[in-house]
Amino acid sequence: MRKDVLVIGGGATGAGIARDLAQRGVECLLLEMGDYCHGASGGNHGLLHSGARYAVKDAVSASECAAENIVLKEIAPFAIEDTGGLFVSLPEDDPDFVDLFTTSCRSAGVPTEELTSKEAIACEPGLDPKVVSCFKVPDGSVDPFSLVQANMDDARSAGATVLNHCAVSGMTVQDGRVVKVEVRDRRGGLPSSIVPELVVNAAGAWVADVASMAGCHVPMGLDQGSMLVLDGRQCRHVMNRLRQPSNGDIAVPNHTSTILGTTSRLARSPNDVAVSKEDVELLIKEASAMLPSLRECRAIRTYGGVRPLLGGGGREASRSFAIMSDDKVDNLLSVAGGKLTTYRLMAEKVSDRVCEILGNGANCRTHLEKLGPAPDPKGGSISSARLRRKYGRAATSIDTADTRVLCSCEQVMRSEVTMVLSKGDALTLADVMRRTRAGMGYCQGFDCSLSVLEVMIERNQVDPVPSLKEFLEERERGLTQATGDQLRQEILRRHVLRGVYGLEGKE
Amino acid sequence: MNRVLVVGKGAAGTFSSWLLANKGWEVILVGRGTPSTAMSTGCLRSQPNVCRSEIMEFLNNEMMPWTYGSREGMSKIGTSYRCWMSPPHSTWKEGEAPKSVAVVGLEGHPSLQARVASATLNARGIRAESLILPSSVPSDVPLAASLFSDESWETLADELQRQSAEAILLPAMVALEDYHQLDILELRSGRRVLEAITPLSAPGQRLGDIMRSKAAGSGVTIWDGRKVTALDVRDGEVRGATVAGGQEVRDILIDAVIIATGGPLVDGLALKERNISDPFGMFQVVRSNDGLRGGYDSSNGMLIASDGHPMNNVAGAGDCLSSERREYGSGLTEALEGAYLAVQALEGS
Repeated sequence: MRKDVLVIGGGATGAGIARDLAQRGVECLLLEMGDYCHGASGGNHGLLHSGARYAVKDAVSASECAAENIVLKEIAPFAIEDTGGLFVSLPEDDPDFVDLFTTSCRSAGVPTEELTSKEAIACEPGLDPKVVSCFKVPDGSVDPFSLVQANMDDARSAGATVLNHCAVSGMTVQDGRVVKVEVRDRRGGLPSSIVPELVVNAAGAWVADVASMAGCHVPMGLDQGSMLVLDGRQCRHVMNRLRQPSNGDIAVPNHTSTILGTTSRLARSPNDVAVSKEDVELLIKEASAMLPSLRECRAIRTYGGVRPLLGGGGREASRSFAIMSDDKVDNLLSVAGGKLTTYRLMAEKVSDRVCEILGNGANCRTHLEKLGPAPDPKGGSISSARLRRKYGRAATSIDTADTRVLCSCEQVMRSEVTMVLSKGDALTLADVMRRTRAGMGYCQGFDCSLSVLEVMIERNQVDPVPSLKEFLEERERGLTQATGDQLRQEILRRHVLRGVYGLEGKE
Repeated sequence: MNRVLVVGKGAAGTFSSWLLANKGWEVILVGRGTPSTAMSTGCLRSQPNVCRSEIMEFLNNEMMPWTYGSREGMSKIGTSYRCWMSPPHSTWKEGEAPKSVAVVGLEGHPSLQARVASATLNARGIRAESLILPSSVPSDVPLAASLFSDESWETLADELQRQSAEAILLPAMVALEDYHQLDILELRSGRRVLEAITPLSAPGQRLGDIMRSKAAGSGVTIWDGRKVTALDVRDGEVRGATVAGGQEVRDILIDAVIIATGGPLVDGLALKERNISDPFGMFQVVRSNDGLRGGYDSSNGMLIASDGHPMNNVAGAGDCLSSERREYGSGLTEALEGAYLAVQALEGS
């Protein structure tokens, strides 16, 4: 198979690049080894940064975030909840940081509005009354799955070929060029090798691994961050601690839950996402300093992500991005660093370079053309707003007359699952979950996985026992730190799955 | 007369209540919520080593005879399920598995995902096809035999008669009083009728109903929807308890207690961190990493006080006790055996 450009990696950056290139008329193929958002694009809080968090330490990333925040709210309103964000400081926080914060935000172009304690508590009733300073910023919450899917759909309709569950397994370099790329295809139907004109390595945490297939070195720091999902929306705004960025600063209301994050430690590999008990305790402790009632909330699951950072890792590393090429290989570009919020900008810069190399004079249009509709200005019904948030444009192709509910925790309808399956890129139970949220609630897929599987089997050949095992093992990884009511739920789940159905999970 | 308070309405609580009432104790059984027993498959996985005849007598009932021995059935997802004791339509004698099965599902209803079960069965070498019947039962309403009229049972029998399969796998839906419908269906259809092994469904409810009515029939006083909020413990002995439910809070004098509150227990519930007071916080807990085996520490059936001494008149039974040998799915037999030992311990004290 010949292609002009091969994009490796189906995270937000890869999706953005495929969309951008396709819109500029470049023939491209995107390959993702897992499902979209397999790495850090799925393993984050879903925070649309205003830039305020990075203003003091990382002015470049802050102004990139500030600009892209406005662009994304314009082009992808369906995937974003414009909740606004609050930065709050407590009596124990350094008072001198406040001035530094406001001046830095001003110079990075991040708008801030100071609130009195009384105003702050009025707009965020769960806030600890001891709050000292509070600033409102344009943070929001974003659904990365929905955002990335919309980019993929858009790229496809502009002519790109996008394939998930296809891993690049090797590259052949001749005379300083990648001449052949080998592919391991889980879905079948793709030739085992591809001959691209140009390779764009947007593999996120795997960017160094992919570059090394072509004998190139990309200096990267891998940094693990842990997140905790709490049941219900426990705050109205994205909540940030007003201090030097540290662990457990953030709470993001997202869909039906609140996501606490994050921590920071060196990751041994891109797959080193494990969350420790200490991380969970720290996240609850820090977030409940801002919102005391969080301590009593039911914690549904934990998950981790590995940030691909430029240079070294850790809190000190820049959140900006870079496009790198290697003198040894002419037709390989690697892109690394960046944030979910800046994915489009990264894609634009990469696509500019690609077009320069290919001699394509077209300009970027990704900031001008919408990825999907805005929420209904009249409000609409709760369910139509919910469908639009999850599926963007595709929400209109859901048969809302069929109201049978398949996942009762997240109120996912059977018709949502059939719509998602009809697109052809959801191959596993976890793929369906990422698109529909079926399996993300209390019971972590225990109840709905069989019903989703029933619909999948009706449409194509799926072997139920291995599919269930794969899915439930993944869910169990998020439940190793379960306590309280969620632990009760988890033990019941294991009794049924292991004791009754005989499905052995991973210990 | 000695008065005993039993906490927990599952297998361990009802069986110990029944045993104690038969021995002349005045028994008050307190519980709330749905016990795991009623969420189980309604079968006993393993053969009891002690008190087998007492268990068989306890579970004996007129509406649903039990089958015993090396039994095998089909789980809701089509995998093999082995047990020692089950309702007659749940399992077959090992080695007598049907060669072909029609799996009955109701369109869009989660009671039995017939396509999932048939795909698994086929992969296991049992010829299976799904028979999806139209249904007007909403997906969030549990399927129950009472939703079927006499005519619809007949229609179902006619439909099943047309199947070439040797056996029929049905969703679990018949309550105790409707169990005879499966016998009639078997006669009318001429096919072996099997109920899918389904947790959180009718079979567990049936087992719970049998146990509860047995306990009530032997004179046990059952206080539903109530919980014990405090125990009065002095000098290694319990003297009284506070029982609360709704607006009512009642202090009672008691001579003994059996704790049968099920698992997972306090160690995993992080009660202290959440500032929730634990009425049984005075007893020692053995912690376990997987949450399955942790629970109250015990010695010969008696719980251990925080000072390390066994209590004189507080026994424990079932999942709330720590147990190194507990496996997923094995809890029911262990709960019944444990209840018997707890009663023996109280009788001996």
